[in-house]
Amino acid sequence: MLVAAAPWLITTPYWRGILVLCAMNVLLALSLNLVMGYTGQLNLGQSAFYAIGAYVSTILIKAYHWNFWLAAPAAIIAAGFLGLALAAFAVRLRGHYLAIASLGFAVITYQVLVNWESVTEGVRGIYGILPPVGNTLGLFYLIAGIALLVYLAMDNLVRSPVGDTLRAIREDEISAAALGVNGALWKAFAFGVGAAIAGLAGCFYPGFVGTLVPDAFNIVESFTMLAMVIVGGMGTMPGPVIGAIVLTFLPELLRGFGELRLMIYGVALTLVVLFLPGGIASCFKRAR
Amino acid sequence: MLQARALSKSFGGVRAVHEVTLAVPEKMIYALIGPNGAGKSTLLNLLSGIYQPDAGELTFRGENLIGLPAYRRARLGIARTFQKIRLFKQLSLLENVRAGFHIHQDAPLWRYLVRGGSDRYDAEARELLQFVGLGERMHERAGALAYGQQRMLEIARALATRPRLFMLDEPAAGLNAAEVDFLLQRLVDVSRRGITLLVVEHNMDLVMNVAQRVFVMDHGVPLYEGTPREVQANRAVVAAYLGGEFAA
Repeated sequence: MLVAAAPWLITTPYWRGILVLCAMNVLLALSLNLVMGYTGQLNLGQSAFYAIGAYVSTILIKAYHWNFWLAAPAAIIAAGFLGLALAAFAVRLRGHYLAIASLGFAVITYQVLVNWESVTEGVRGIYGILPPVGNTLGLFYLIAGIALLVYLAMDNLVRSPVGDTLRAIREDEISAAALGVNGALWKAFAFGVGAAIAGLAGCFYPGFVGTLVPDAFNIVESFTMLAMVIVGGMGTMPGPVIGAIVLTFLPELLRGFGELRLMIYGVALTLVVLFLPGGIASCFKRAR
Repeated sequence: MLQARALSKSFGGVRAVHEVTLAVPEKMIYALIGPNGAGKSTLLNLLSGIYQPDAGELTFRGENLIGLPAYRRARLGIARTFQKIRLFKQLSLLENVRAGFHIHQDAPLWRYLVRGGSDRYDAEARELLQFVGLGERMHERAGALAYGQQRMLEIARALATRPRLFMLDEPAAGLNAAEVDFLLQRLVDVSRRGITLLVVEHNMDLVMNVAQRVFVMDHGVPLYEGTPREVQANRAVVAAYLGGEFAA
């Protein structure tokens, strides 16, 4: 309801644009939460899958004249497979080692986007990309609707036996193995699905902005997603949604503070992590 | 049922388990004892697939286990608990036990996406929690349980896999007398259901009153195998436990 009403409360084109961005961020935060929050894999490479979704769909549309609705599934599948590729290495790694390896993966992807100019146009960027839906309002409803479907499906998944299995891996992989859980398989599953959802979010980004440059998928993006998941509440369903909304709007609301903006943002993040280790979602739980 | 021949495992030159041959018969309570550092836990890790042996043969109901990872062995019907309790601490008791039914879940993935829920084994999971005396607390966090209760929860979780062979690594360690009694009853109940038990244990009450056969290890090698009575009478075993002078 609130989601549907949001565009009427927010009527200026600029803020409606932020709403679209927010819907994409919700998808990204949900995708990372599956890998990090539920399966316990500290993945800092999520921005790479976002980038793959954006680039694969755009190149298919611009260079090969595919329809968006064909290009998007192809891009999602590409991102998913890349997620499995990362998982092939990642399943052997844990904790900090996985964090570093996945971060390296994001850096490599970024460098490929910058340097493979014949395909990606490098830093010059790709211009004149049209969104799948003409107006900002329609685009918002489309992405928000997809985000809602993803949320509902994931909510079902984590309450199912699959959710029990993923959480078991997060808590103690050796004991999970003693119960017959193939840890490598299920971690790869989480990485693959998480990557595909990030790729899905990526499909909408270029059309929304109109241009596509590698800098949009700098590793800082990975950390922004990480912040959304942690601030909202890792390993809960509402958490990453709250985190994505707060961390999309907070920097915008702080624009009035000029140079101080990023500092306030940073302090706010630190305070949440210090005093609310369970994220904002844990407040609601405690209140009940 | 479970047969090991000349099973060996070294860690950086230390022979933790050296050429151990043992056969665990079906439907028996089989105890594995020995002084600290005898290699009991390492042997259990070899049998359950946490470690792979350097040499030797290992079969379970005629199937070769060498090279099979732990999760594949669990699917063949081998369950275990750990000496240092390994629960899913942040999850509820019910979630812990439910995770134990993993290998018996056979619904296709898409069904979970549209319907969620996991009530299929809920009733059975509750029964298992009742069985170990934790039925009232199923929604509490596993990490919040007292030590002895954590041990019982780990047993319930392992039983959820519906094992044929259940290996327990020092289940009575850290339990008070009442808890040990309860544990003994439960192990006998489990055994009556036709599940073979392999128990690593220091608690002599448990070993002497409940076990039907006892396998004694010392310094990574087998020392003796026999009935509890025979083991008690064996000089080498007494010497290993109490030191050489008592054996004379």
